[in-house]
Amino acid sequence: MKNKILTMIMALGLTFTMGTVSAAGELHVYNWGNYTNPDMIKKFEEKHGIKVTIDSYDSNETMLAKVEQGGSGYDIVVPGDYMIAIMIKKGLLERVEPNKMSNFKNVDSKWVNVYWDDGRNYSIPYQWGTTNFTVDSSVYKGDVNTLALMFDPPAELKGRINMLKDMNDVINAGLRYLNYPRCNSNKAQLKELNNMLIKAKTDWRTMDYSVIEKLTSKDVDLSQSWNGAAKRARKDRPELVYSYPKEGFTGWMDNVAVLKGAPNIENAKLFMNFMMTPEAAAMTSNFANYANGIIGSEPHMNTELTSAPEIVMPASAPAPEFVPPCAQEVTDLYAKIWTNLNK
Amino acid sequence: MTKTTDLRYQPGFSLITWFCIAFLYAPIAVLVWFSFNQNRSVTVWTEFSLDWYVKAWHNEGIQNAALVSLEVAVIAMILSTIMATMAALVTTRTAPYRGLNLSVAVINQPLMVPEVVTAVATLIFFAIIKQATGVTGIGYLIAAHTAFCIPFAYMPIRARLEDMDLSLEQAGADLYAPPFKVFRRITLPLMMPGILAGAMLAFIVSLDDVIITLFVAGPGETTLPIYILGQIRRGVTPEINAVSTVFLGISVILVTFIFLFGKGKNLGKQ
Repeated sequence: MKNKILTMIMALGLTFTMGTVSAAGELHVYNWGNYTNPDMIKKFEEKHGIKVTIDSYDSNETMLAKVEQGGSGYDIVVPGDYMIAIMIKKGLLERVEPNKMSNFKNVDSKWVNVYWDDGRNYSIPYQWGTTNFTVDSSVYKGDVNTLALMFDPPAELKGRINMLKDMNDVINAGLRYLNYPRCNSNKAQLKELNNMLIKAKTDWRTMDYSVIEKLTSKDVDLSQSWNGAAKRARKDRPELVYSYPKEGFTGWMDNVAVLKGAPNIENAKLFMNFMMTPEAAAMTSNFANYANGIIGSEPHMNTELTSAPEIVMPASAPAPEFVPPCAQEVTDLYAKIWTNLNK
Repeated sequence: MTKTTDLRYQPGFSLITWFCIAFLYAPIAVLVWFSFNQNRSVTVWTEFSLDWYVKAWHNEGIQNAALVSLEVAVIAMILSTIMATMAALVTTRTAPYRGLNLSVAVINQPLMVPEVVTAVATLIFFAIIKQATGVTGIGYLIAAHTAFCIPFAYMPIRARLEDMDLSLEQAGADLYAPPFKVFRRITLPLMMPGILAGAMLAFIVSLDDVIITLFVAGPGETTLPIYILGQIRRGVTPEINAVSTVFLGISVILVTFIFLFGKGKNLGKQ
């Protein structure tokens, strides 16, 4: 009995070491959960004969905590805009110069000189979107393109609002509503913001990430939301309208980057170049429901996606604002307001 | 004797009991219920279907995660139970020695230290080893799981040993049975229910660990709880309900099996 167990353990141990020794022809992708199209990966695997593994994280911060220690074993990560800036600063990303790769010509020029990676020496666009709110047009019939619906709601929306449980999304929307600058350390302005949020909170029902569930179960009639989630919620509740507030709104972009000292760096570069083909970008969009920033990908995308008002911004909407990470002092002040609001 | 003077009569207790049972199991019932939902919402019911089971079955991400979960849980269970059994023997079947209490405290350390502290410490420790040796693989994850499973396996085994009368073992020794034979023929069979309970517990604890796994798991080592966690930002689908239901079923079968097995042993003794 004892011997049997021992041999079993030894056999198992052997299989693991065997599995990990052959590193050639592999690529380890670390991406947000439910965000990678398995068909796109299959296409890449077939084209280059590389075996790809996909693991998922739930936040930029989890990913950072893990790769910061080194030796995580991943090659590709897909951080958000501000996280790319942080990771470049910390020296966690490999300077692979995607701007010299053959498919870089497909990248929309407006996504090249971005604050988080000027000139694109480290990363390429993966998916981008906006953070606004979506509202049931049969409940509220007026103009939806104003932040007042969240911070000073009309009677029919009072107590029917869900906000994202995200400090930056809530505070930046509040600052825009008051017409104050982002990354704000002006105490008087922040005090006003604090009072405004505390007052607005009495009209909110919940602060939660599960936007789609809240909306489709008719738990709320308005929810702060990422555009992709708003589109998916509209499928089950056609009355929903996605707002592009005149006061402005946040844009975000997730980017494909290569970790410093990645074990399969050449394969990672191949993957990056592949991700800039219109076909691959469209496959990702069709799966993840966001726009991709690659020119020529539209013809390969589902018409349901290219005709969605949540994905294709109307010409009248203001340009999305990409908010860089604020100074520590500002973040500390924000955290105080946020804690206070969550009491 | 009237009802009110009966000490066993506890007014309102059955109500509280039902409330507690509902509190504990109603969410699980809802989860199972919506795994059979036809549409993609986990809150609005339309009609019965098995679509999500079929989808989950064909979802490679879920397949891989489920296999990793089972692989890690089974190996961590075996290793931690063996170590916990040895630890339980050495902390109950010996004369008191210096450092006995310290040993018990060290064994139970994973229960005392907040999990996130263990997780970060393990992450850093393993990162150093990985960079120094270049060895990677699922072994790290299994080692981490084994470590925090030990106290869970240890507790029931130790409890069982403390309940067991020494006289049978002494009688065996009196009849010139060598120590190993006493262990093999008397101690081990008697402590088997404790070992099984400990193994069970270790398996379950390993299966649903999130924090330590989140930090330690390397490429291709996403377990099912980590996979589910990763879905949250993009919205949970009933696929997750379906997988959870299957795993719930496995747990129930396992518990039933161990319960019946333990019962059979006890009956044999009487």
